[in-house]
Amino acid sequence: MLSFVFLQLAPGDFFDEMRLNPQISPEAVARLHREYGLDKPLPVRYFSWLKSAASGDWGTSFAYNAPVAPLIWSRARNTLLLTGLSMLLCWMIALPIGVFSAGERHRWIDHGCSFLTSFLLVTPDLLLALGLLWIALRTHWFPAGGMFSLKSAHAGSVAQCRDLAFHLIAPVAVLVLGGLPVLLRHIRAAMTDALQTPYIRAARSHGIPYSRLLFRHALPAASAPLVSLFGYSLGSLLSTSLLIEVVMNWPGLGPLLLEAILARDVYTVIGTVMFSALFLAGGMFVADVLLFATDPRIRTKDIG
Amino acid sequence: MKMSRIAALLVTALAFLCLTVVFAGFLAPYDVAQQNRKLAFAPPSVIHFADASGRIHLHPSVCALEDRPGAFGEYRENHLNCFPIQYLVRGTPYEVFGVVKSNLHLFGVAPQTKIFLMGTDSYGRDLFSRFLCGGQISLLAGLTATLLSLAVGALLGTLAGYFGGWLDASIMRGAELFLALPWLYFLFAARAFLPLSLSATGAFWLLIAVMSLVGWARPARLIRGVVLSSRERHYVLAARLFGGSDTYIMRRHILPETYSILLTQAVLLIPQYVLAEVTLSFLGLGVAEPTPTWGNMLSTLQKYSVLATYWWMLIPGLLLVPVFCGFVLLANELQPGRKARAA
Amino acid sequence: MWLRTYPRFTASVLLSASACLFSSVGSAQSHSSNEELVISDNPVGHPGGRLVASLRSEPKTLNPITSIDISSREVIAQMTGDLIHINRLSQNTELAIAKSWTVSRDGLQYTLKLRHGLRFSDGHALDVEDVLFSFQVYLDEKVNSPQRDLLIVGGKPITVHQVDSDALVFQLAQPYAAAERLFDSIAILPKHLLDQAYKDGKLAQAWGLGTSPEKVAGLGPFRLKEYVAGQHLTLERNPYYWKADRAKHRLPYLDQITFLFVPNADAEVIRFQAGDTDVLNRLSAEDYSALEKDQTKHAFHVYDAGPSLEYNFLFFNLNSVLPARSEISRKQGWFRQVKFRQAISMALDRDGMVRLVYRGRATPLWTPVTSASSFWIDTAVPHPVRSIDQARKLLEAAGFSWSQSGDLIDSSGSPVRFSILTSASNSQRTQMATMIQQDLREVGISVEVVPLEFRSVVDRIFQSHDYDAALLGLGGGDVDPNSQMNVWLSSGNDHVWDLGENHPATNWEAEIDQLMVKQLSTLEPQARKRLYDRVQEIIAENLPVISLVSPDVLVAAKDQLGNFKPAELDPHTLWNSQELYLSGTAASGQP
Repeated sequence: MLSFVFLQLAPGDFFDEMRLNPQISPEAVARLHREYGLDKPLPVRYFSWLKSAASGDWGTSFAYNAPVAPLIWSRARNTLLLTGLSMLLCWMIALPIGVFSAGERHRWIDHGCSFLTSFLLVTPDLLLALGLLWIALRTHWFPAGGMFSLKSAHAGSVAQCRDLAFHLIAPVAVLVLGGLPVLLRHIRAAMTDALQTPYIRAARSHGIPYSRLLFRHALPAASAPLVSLFGYSLGSLLSTSLLIEVVMNWPGLGPLLLEAILARDVYTVIGTVMFSALFLAGGMFVADVLLFATDPRIRTKDIG
Repeated sequence: MKMSRIAALLVTALAFLCLTVVFAGFLAPYDVAQQNRKLAFAPPSVIHFADASGRIHLHPSVCALEDRPGAFGEYRENHLNCFPIQYLVRGTPYEVFGVVKSNLHLFGVAPQTKIFLMGTDSYGRDLFSRFLCGGQISLLAGLTATLLSLAVGALLGTLAGYFGGWLDASIMRGAELFLALPWLYFLFAARAFLPLSLSATGAFWLLIAVMSLVGWARPARLIRGVVLSSRERHYVLAARLFGGSDTYIMRRHILPETYSILLTQAVLLIPQYVLAEVTLSFLGLGVAEPTPTWGNMLSTLQKYSVLATYWWMLIPGLLLVPVFCGFVLLANELQPGRKARAA
Repeated sequence: MWLRTYPRFTASVLLSASACLFSSVGSAQSHSSNEELVISDNPVGHPGGRLVASLRSEPKTLNPITSIDISSREVIAQMTGDLIHINRLSQNTELAIAKSWTVSRDGLQYTLKLRHGLRFSDGHALDVEDVLFSFQVYLDEKVNSPQRDLLIVGGKPITVHQVDSDALVFQLAQPYAAAERLFDSIAILPKHLLDQAYKDGKLAQAWGLGTSPEKVAGLGPFRLKEYVAGQHLTLERNPYYWKADRAKHRLPYLDQITFLFVPNADAEVIRFQAGDTDVLNRLSAEDYSALEKDQTKHAFHVYDAGPSLEYNFLFFNLNSVLPARSEISRKQGWFRQVKFRQAISMALDRDGMVRLVYRGRATPLWTPVTSASSFWIDTAVPHPVRSIDQARKLLEAAGFSWSQSGDLIDSSGSPVRFSILTSASNSQRTQMATMIQQDLREVGISVEVVPLEFRSVVDRIFQSHDYDAALLGLGGGDVDPNSQMNVWLSSGNDHVWDLGENHPATNWEAEIDQLMVKQLSTLEPQARKRLYDRVQEIIAENLPVISLVSPDVLVAAKDQLGNFKPAELDPHTLWNSQELYLSGTAASGQP
């Protein structure tokens, strides 16, 4: 449902014919006017654009002189790789730490974590990115940005994967470190709430071992807010990844969007925002599905 | 509202920061646009407490920098040419709040040499002066955006919480939407569609406005929560029975409950919006030259050669951390009080 | 032009000598016995090896008729030959496919004789038909080749006809100074490969990137071997190339040239440092400094080939045809005053720009002609030292004064402020604009720097005339003043400060028009120089453009690359690719 609202919102605002003027000659403008029916009222325009977008034609980029859709897609793959991987890693790291830090034993995890999260919370992602780049440039432990090193174009696929992995270190590290504090906090809060419930207290008195208690019993109860968090964190991750891609020269949607803005490349901007909206909508849809799957209360409510 | 000692300390620190930024002209030895073209990319000045012969003075001094001919960006100190740092010197004129004019500076050195506490940038402009003055724009942007955001959020949240029903549902749906939006994408897209004829400064402030409109969601939800709970309080019911209008009730009874949340949110939001401004300026979508902001001082670091060689240009970025730290810690301090009261 | 007699003489002597030699001595390469090769007097190198260079963008086509972008032209230049070629180092013309040329007394007819026995890279013989075909194609309006404009003299296209089995006459509508320079880079096309496409009207689509190598042939030192999209384009040695060295070995020495596609300048430098490429074409000043430090440790050297032809300049909107807004017209009241422009020029810190923007690797300019054209530059143009006092005096004389706060105000009391438009993607020009902003602050002028995307800048300057001042750079393709006609003629397309009206707006512009037209048809070089000097003096005095700096040509090459002579004219590194050789056994890159 949210996804649908999203799709409605994203392209509609931006389709304004006046914005097209600075870029193209009068003849081209007139031609585009006719082609896209820009002389018709806004709703008609919007729907015809939707129609053409749905059929795969997303317009032509002025800067690259190429159709927008394949351009976006080739960049989007890279962004998806980066964002997806970061999301995965972030959750994989945050979940266990968050769960343990909410428990009563191993208090040092909790104290250590809160210190770490506070530090990471106040450090802007930009600074993390610049810092890592600085380290990379000074020590050459990992590549300073970019996606492929140049030798790898000739190497075999195993070497290419290794090369890609090396290049992923820096941007993924920044994204993960940037996203950790918020995640950790929410997980910890959700777990703490879940641990207070009578259900857990009953389970504890039954003598269920500690870690099983945490993971098998408390965590699923805490999962509802966490799954919604998944949807929201995707949005902020996407934002941060835009910045990181530009700073670290990762050929994703970020640099494309920035260039397109500076070049007033209207269709590319619309296409990129549209794509990110779709991606986000997709993520939230997955979140909705997960919520449905994991929370028996929703299911039973529907049935019963 | 009672504050813990730590909170009081933090508030003082932040107030000090604001004062520093307001009086940046006084504290900064040089004008922000002054280019010392022979001293581009100069490292931070070394403060000497001993003179050439090795005797220790209490009075710090700075030695003249000379560039190595032929080598760009490499400097050597000329230890024969040292000048003491003077206090309360007359220098370039500046204005405080555009009203008070003065040319008194806290410290400076004789014109034959320069004191660069944080080094210089690619044009030879003093980074320390630019950092102090840059804070004006960055903090002002953060503050404005926060106020706008809170105003809109408070309004919508109160309406949603108080009236409930379809208004509540639609506002909350909208809030969810805005919460999930990738704000930077949205901002970029908005920037792309601003007319070309708008000056960079105009575009910047318009962007601040847009930014704040994107961020109303979180405070709105929190406000709504408070309003919902306080709506059911006895005195509110009593007031309604006595014939108080909605506006009266909202103004007199509900809103005061929200003040603490608003304050906490404000303290949390200011650094977020400052960071947003920094990001925008860093990417080149901020104010025009030569006005400094914390963001565009970092933007030359996008070039790897600059990042690797001229480490002092990272300092403005590093200094952001304690500033944000202050805000976040203060927000933390303000919160448990509220939790204790709500529970 | 003054060396006109020499090429003929040298060529004829060498040709007869080589003809004798070749007819008597058998050479390793097979060639017809009456092939007239050009003997090149470069230091002799040894054959073999592969050179790897980089291109920042992929070429769009291999078609010499339609190509416009830089990358395509770079590759095509290696594959094609012209009748008369401009030696990029000496900047003079030398005979290429033509073995002699004469000009009629009235300057309207150029007679060129072709060398005998030359062959295209696919072995097919070259004859007059090919030359006629080539010019027919270039001049055909339906083909719409960008080269056509270059061949229009006196408003009419050149005409060609054959007079002999090996001679052609080119007819000009009016005398044109240094017309032989027109032949440079007009590639001679193989009729046997392109005729059909021409007849079918599909010439513009011919020789795209996917074309197989057998279908592409030219007279250049190399021919197409392989193109891999997104990665590289490889050329191989043309076994039929018509030049040989003194030791009678047929040039080129190199077996292959590979152009790697590298997306940006940083990546290019990284590849060069890693040893993937052997030569770097245009370096930025920072990269140059960074590489300079490394050059002794690794086996390469950086070279500063001296000033380029590029000149960066500031100019004001002096258009009489303006958009409806009156803001700019008011400001033009200031811009139109010569003393105002002179004052601005006096206030600028050109040395600072050379130091900060180009790290010292540039030359300050007071005339748009750079010292790369050593013959044409007018050394008598004054180079005034920067002086704020002098600038203030000039402004006072122009009726300006200063307010209490130090701002410059005009005679009606309004403060002088304007904006400078520049391309956001060009960081050097943006930096220069920021420095100008600070300089003008010292005379009380408040300047706003407006970096916009390049196409918006172009649109504002050329179409809507919606700007106050702008900072641009133009690069002459050739040293000859004729290549700058479009800029200095009032009717020219690049007369950037005043477009739209075709007649001169001021007396001095009228004088420039007269002088430029006159030098166009003045054949004697010294007389031309006097005319062009006068043009430079008028420009320096009236400042329609305020020249700023000209960046140097900075290149790098591996030490093992022999005969490497970087030139100030484009292409700086590979202009003499036929002479380049790799010493030592291993060439770079993978086999």
